[in-house]
Amino acid sequence: MDGAAVDTRLASAAPSRDGSGFFRRHGHLLLLAPGVIWMVLFLIVPLAMMVYVSFWTQTTFAIKPDLTLKSWATFFASETYFGALLRTLRIWLTVLLLTFLFGYPTALYIGQFVRNKTVQTILLVACVIPFWTSFLIRVLAWRPMLGKEGAINIVLQGLGIIDHPIEVLLFTELSVIIGMVQIYVVFMVGPVAFMLARIDDSLFEAARDLGASPMTIFRKITFPLSLPGVVVGAIFVSVMVLGEFATASALSGRKVNLLGNIIVTQVGSLKWAFAAVIGVVLTVVMATVITALLRVVNLRREL
Amino acid sequence: MMELIRLTKAYKGVPAVRDVFLIVREDEYLTLLGPSGSGKTTLLRLLSGLEKPDAGQIHLNGEDVTYRPPHLRGLGIVQQNYALFPHMSVEDNVAFGLRYRLIDPVTDEGEVKRRVAETLELVGLTGFEARMVGQISGGQKQRVSLARTLVTRPKICLLDEPLGALDANLRERMTVELRKIRETLGVTFLHVTGNETEALAMGDRMVVLDKGSIVQADRPDVIFSMPSDVRVARFVNTYNVLEGAVRDGEFQSAGQAMTLPEYARGSEAGFYAIRQDAVEINAAGTVPGPGRTGLQATYIASEFLGSRFAYIFRMPNGGVFEVERHLSHSDPVTYKGGEACSLSWNLSDALVFDPSGAALETTVFKGAA
Repeated sequence: MDGAAVDTRLASAAPSRDGSGFFRRHGHLLLLAPGVIWMVLFLIVPLAMMVYVSFWTQTTFAIKPDLTLKSWATFFASETYFGALLRTLRIWLTVLLLTFLFGYPTALYIGQFVRNKTVQTILLVACVIPFWTSFLIRVLAWRPMLGKEGAINIVLQGLGIIDHPIEVLLFTELSVIIGMVQIYVVFMVGPVAFMLARIDDSLFEAARDLGASPMTIFRKITFPLSLPGVVVGAIFVSVMVLGEFATASALSGRKVNLLGNIIVTQVGSLKWAFAAVIGVVLTVVMATVITALLRVVNLRREL
Repeated sequence: MMELIRLTKAYKGVPAVRDVFLIVREDEYLTLLGPSGSGKTTLLRLLSGLEKPDAGQIHLNGEDVTYRPPHLRGLGIVQQNYALFPHMSVEDNVAFGLRYRLIDPVTDEGEVKRRVAETLELVGLTGFEARMVGQISGGQKQRVSLARTLVTRPKICLLDEPLGALDANLRERMTVELRKIRETLGVTFLHVTGNETEALAMGDRMVVLDKGSIVQADRPDVIFSMPSDVRVARFVNTYNVLEGAVRDGEFQSAGQAMTLPEYARGSEAGFYAIRQDAVEINAAGTVPGPGRTGLQATYIASEFLGSRFAYIFRMPNGGVFEVERHLSHSDPVTYKGGEACSLSWNLSDALVFDPSGAALETTVFKGAA
């Protein structure tokens, strides 16, 4: 309370540098203005525009601002397009689950079992090494790996484990999932390892001392305390996977079409209204996913 | 009930606990005093099982538990930083041990609730069940931490500097309450502290630790009036300890000669200690009366400590000599800075230690006074 009293006195005693009363009272709004203007111009307006355009009338070579539900009806009626939505959701859930299954143990190792901060950092950097090459190379490198005459098949055949090459490895949904998990798993490892490394050792000691077994400690202490990291990681992975198109087209031979791929094709053929519909759908899906994930933990409290 | 036998532990070759032999009894408040780095926290962690000793044994009720993991020992440790689980409410924190312990967990939720409520009442936190750990004060966290350990009815409750992070007011209240709580439960408390007042005030028995070894273990009043070692006299922080040697039958230190008490005459002496409140201040040049001895020193400053004054003097060799005077015994006197004074005390109040630091034998017989 003393501190507050001193503060007010200082504030009122200080000569007003701004001169006008308006600036003194609303000066902080000026700090906010650039950000707000930026967001309105480049986020709110385009979003509104996208929703608006999705109701425009599309003909083969032109688009007219006459409002219609036709594009929306096509999307939900068409097997191809609605199927793409379901496929996107299915691949997203699979990739999310796999990045968690591979990422969490890795993070647990880095965050809990490596005691040395320097080694921790080195290991985390090692996780990012694939990012030193371009996205396209990372994705395309899977082709000679998974292909019919790729590395995996050659090795397995060489060892006599299989007679005929496994064909489902490439240009299938499986190859898309393998590629995505490899690329995005690090976004799960990072936040989780960070949260795990922050947990004070004395908490584990206290739990051990209170009689809890290592498994109980993991269930009741380690995992709940790392949950904010899992949620942040899941948000990263979800946002990136839901909007993906490059991995899918490079590793599926265009057989697996996600919402992102359809947007690319539609925009390519100047079907703006229809692309806008899918854009809106994708935005709604992402917003729903993020909202749901944020419900799991109160990030504001935890971070 | 718990025996430590030649317990030894080193970190990277640096010994932290050396050859410790100690018996912890049933239903006692044992305080463990040591300066920082004396190995007291290590000792506590060895007892709780959070660390493994390099050598020696720990016996608990006759069983060897030296290498038993902490969750199977049935001891409770209250950590210095409380180590409360931040994602749980006060109630869930306290209930943790009952619900999740490997051995004999309490599965009946009603029973858990009843015991938690009972323990929270004991530490004075009834009504705080639903609060999150982040919403309570430091003193309350301390109580929750204590309750969390006590609710499991440990055989021994180990407290690592439990009052260290509390402000003076709260510390004093907790001092009384910890003793009261312990007496109510009849659980042995082993309280580690770096604060000599705390160790003296709270312990039924007190252990003084230095450089990883036990220097003295006894009742606090015995330790206070008859330190067995000059290091103990220093930790207790109420003695002026003079270093020197015997020459011509007198103790020579700081270029001055002091008469040795009867029992120490003729023995080799290396340290001479006199309690700060047993010293009288006289005008310079005053010759001590019969049965008394003293030295000359220069007054530097005084410090007001509420019920008493501490007068600080400088001896000719630069050493500091403190005299304490209780205001209930005499009114404060003002001296001028740099004024020479004569300090004197009764020979019977003086303690003498041999050059290795051990108290001279006969000291033991004069304690009761």
